[in-house]
Amino acid sequence: MGESTVSDPFDALPGLAPLRAAAWDDDWAATQDFFAGIGDSAADVSFAAGLLAGVERTEAYLERAAKALPADPLPRTLLAERYVRIGWRIRSGARAERVSRDQFAQFHDWLRKAELLLIEVCAQHPEYGPAWTARLLTARGLELGQSEARRRYDRLAEHHPHLFRAQSQLLQQLCPKWSGSWEAAHGFARDTAAAAPPGSPAGALIAEAHIEHWLDLGGAAATEYLRDVAVRNELREAAGMSVLHPGHRPGWHSLGGHSAFALAFSLGGHLRDAARHFTALGDTVSESFWQYLPDWKNRFATYRTAASATL
Amino acid sequence: MTTQDMTAQDTSAPDVPHAPDATAQPDLAALDGLVGHTTVDGIPALFAPRPGPLTAGLLFRVGRADETLPTTGVTHLVEHLALHRLGLSDLHYNGATADAYTLFHVTGDEDEVVTYLNGVRAALRDLPLERLETEKEILRTEAGSRGNGPLSQMPLWRYGAQGYGLASYDELGTRSLTADQVRHWAETRFTRDNAVLWLTGDRLPEGLDLTLPAGRRFPAPAATDALPVTPAYIRGDDGHVVFTSVVRRSTAAAVFAEVLGRALFKDLRQQGGYSYSAEADYTPRDADFATLTAYADALPQKQDAALGGFVDVFARLRAGRVEQAELDSARGKLRRRYEVPDLGAALLPSYAHSLLLGHRLLTPERHRAELEAVTVEDLCEVARAAWDGGLLQVPTRGAEWAGPTPAPQYSETGVSGTLHPSLDDDDVTLVIGDTGVTLSLPAGLVTVRYDACAAMTTRPDGARYLTGLDGFRVAVEPTLYGDVTPERIAVLDAAVPDEAVVPLPARREEEIPRPRERRATAPAAGTETPAAKEKRAWKWSLGLLLILGVDALFGAGVLLTAVQLAESAAPRWSRLLPAVVPGILLLRITYRTYLSAQGAAERRT
Repeated sequence: MGESTVSDPFDALPGLAPLRAAAWDDDWAATQDFFAGIGDSAADVSFAAGLLAGVERTEAYLERAAKALPADPLPRTLLAERYVRIGWRIRSGARAERVSRDQFAQFHDWLRKAELLLIEVCAQHPEYGPAWTARLLTARGLELGQSEARRRYDRLAEHHPHLFRAQSQLLQQLCPKWSGSWEAAHGFARDTAAAAPPGSPAGALIAEAHIEHWLDLGGAAATEYLRDVAVRNELREAAGMSVLHPGHRPGWHSLGGHSAFALAFSLGGHLRDAARHFTALGDTVSESFWQYLPDWKNRFATYRTAASATL
Repeated sequence: MTTQDMTAQDTSAPDVPHAPDATAQPDLAALDGLVGHTTVDGIPALFAPRPGPLTAGLLFRVGRADETLPTTGVTHLVEHLALHRLGLSDLHYNGATADAYTLFHVTGDEDEVVTYLNGVRAALRDLPLERLETEKEILRTEAGSRGNGPLSQMPLWRYGAQGYGLASYDELGTRSLTADQVRHWAETRFTRDNAVLWLTGDRLPEGLDLTLPAGRRFPAPAATDALPVTPAYIRGDDGHVVFTSVVRRSTAAAVFAEVLGRALFKDLRQQGGYSYSAEADYTPRDADFATLTAYADALPQKQDAALGGFVDVFARLRAGRVEQAELDSARGKLRRRYEVPDLGAALLPSYAHSLLLGHRLLTPERHRAELEAVTVEDLCEVARAAWDGGLLQVPTRGAEWAGPTPAPQYSETGVSGTLHPSLDDDDVTLVIGDTGVTLSLPAGLVTVRYDACAAMTTRPDGARYLTGLDGFRVAVEPTLYGDVTPERIAVLDAAVPDEAVVPLPARREEEIPRPRERRATAPAAGTETPAAKEKRAWKWSLGLLLILGVDALFGAGVLLTAVQLAESAAPRWSRLLPAVVPGILLLRITYRTYLSAQGAAERRT
């Protein structure tokens, strides 16, 4: 059952397949066409840039493109995203104390390469949201500090007040695991969701913050936390003003939003609440947060079945 | 007489866009109609009228950068001694010792100005050297109250412990300079040929007597280089982001400093709220180069953002994204310096400074024309050159993420010689060799070679602090390392050139450092204090005595058993067998205890 779930966003989301094909073919012209087709939605460009970064062995053709188009912010940003991903794969997702010195050194080297490209892009194109978004990743990995991450987000928000991927990245930084605090993380999620237009994906930040909090607590306390009626109510309200809002226009960010809400409700035992999100997801899911669960694909299937039984 | 830190010399000094010919004599004729020029007792003099009291400045082309580490403060001492006889008066006068010049400055009526200048002249020819020790004391006090500002470490990292780097150091000369050294400095550097006079007035006053010995015009000291790679960064105190660079003197560079200062203020203070102060400065260093300084403060919880904003502001200017309005307002500010009454008089200090350093004199018309000609591309070029040659001091963990390389924390090589383990830290060893000293630390080596030793201070208790010309320092404290005997100290004393040696007075007993108290666990061999070693030797001797006692009891037991067996009718000698293995073991332990006791005794001698 779990096997039928589509978690690769290139397959799960419509319209992204040409980007993967272009990347597999080292085809810069096709890559450029794909991004040109997105138009000027910084949120979508940044989303696609994050996905492209996960396609292996793309750095060579992106390096060539960056060299050939020294004034264009896109190829350098895509290359920087790729460098960040290479570095993070070396670091692995483990807690810092389980990462070796050598892993850290290589991780930082890749991130510095990315950061130098991004400094330049942001200096030339301060309105270019995708580069600032990537700089939130480098700021976190290079441990440039809370105030610096916030500065980067503020610079971005001047031009793009509702860039979801950037918000989600800053939220990671604001969590205690990256030297933030729960107060800061929940506060940012609430404020940002409240400031967003109805139907925008920003409400999912509230789910993301609660999932992070759950992960950090662990054990019985974690389950207790998500069972809490106040947390459930907040999640309901957040879902209602974002991905479940009548004005929500399904897009690439919907997948992540529904996935996060489905997870948060499921873990808290609120299966009836989870059901609407599972329905919206169908056979697709974003693994970003679900992979916090061991054997997550089976757990996903189990929760989905249980949730559908409540309907 | 505040002095010393007056590097902030008139930043309005007119500059030409690119490197002037250093050998070209400044063309005084260009200033005709604006500034008069003549000579007084062989000293070039510039004058221009201004109503009200007279102001005059007597400049000498000598400053801290001309000194050496052991003689730092000698120029400052001459300046203080020259002004001593003028005593207390209501007259507004001052003296200033900067990196590359010394200024005697006065404002008053004609008689007062003449009296002051003649007095300085007379004192320079005949310094009140009986005051030397008192003035040295005063300078030490002045240094103590000055403290270390956030920029204080920048010169030493860029230049080392010489030339322009000496600005980072205490005035070591206030310890050891002799009357002869000070007199010789005055005789050779404070000469007719190394001076320039400027004075507000339409003529020079009657009665001036500035006869000084003939000498020569010293060019500004050549810059030394302690930074193998730039841009570089160092770590500094919390709350301060500091940047310095050396750029070719040019009108574009002066405009750039204005643009940078305003951009930092706008970004870090007005927009971000990370900083209270955010500014930049352009100060001529010598005939061809100027020091560009940028500074921003921040609360510790905001300093990461202040650094990030600083890096981005610089990146923006490097990328050439300068608003026309930014260029226009910077240009306007520099242009307004010419919109003052009595322009000639106002420009006297900067013209005199240029004349002294051999920098070309630029008329207001020409400078204004150059200001108009500065383009955004020019600023972008200056920004890139400034960043590429920059030294950044950050309050955070580092700045490698932004491009700069860490400034060298360790020497490239070490010396071989006798090894002296630290008594504090098992991983630290001092090496005293024939060519230099090396401190071996877990992360690297710090070496001072005797032939590149800027100064070695000495204490009667044996302590020797060596500072290399590159700024690295090794402190040889005999109490903190094993076996630093008077013989090893004598090696240092013989090898370091006399002119680098600075004797310091004896320290009180409590000022002499001691190794930290170590935990009660047995210290590793070779790192304990002599006293601890002695104790260990005693313990081993006691151990030997104890083990010998056990031997005696055991032996007696075996003997008694044997005797009893022998007396019995049918002796079963096999009953002695269980004693064989313990006996061998006991003998072995005894032997090892004996060896250890011997060894401890050897290390002790």
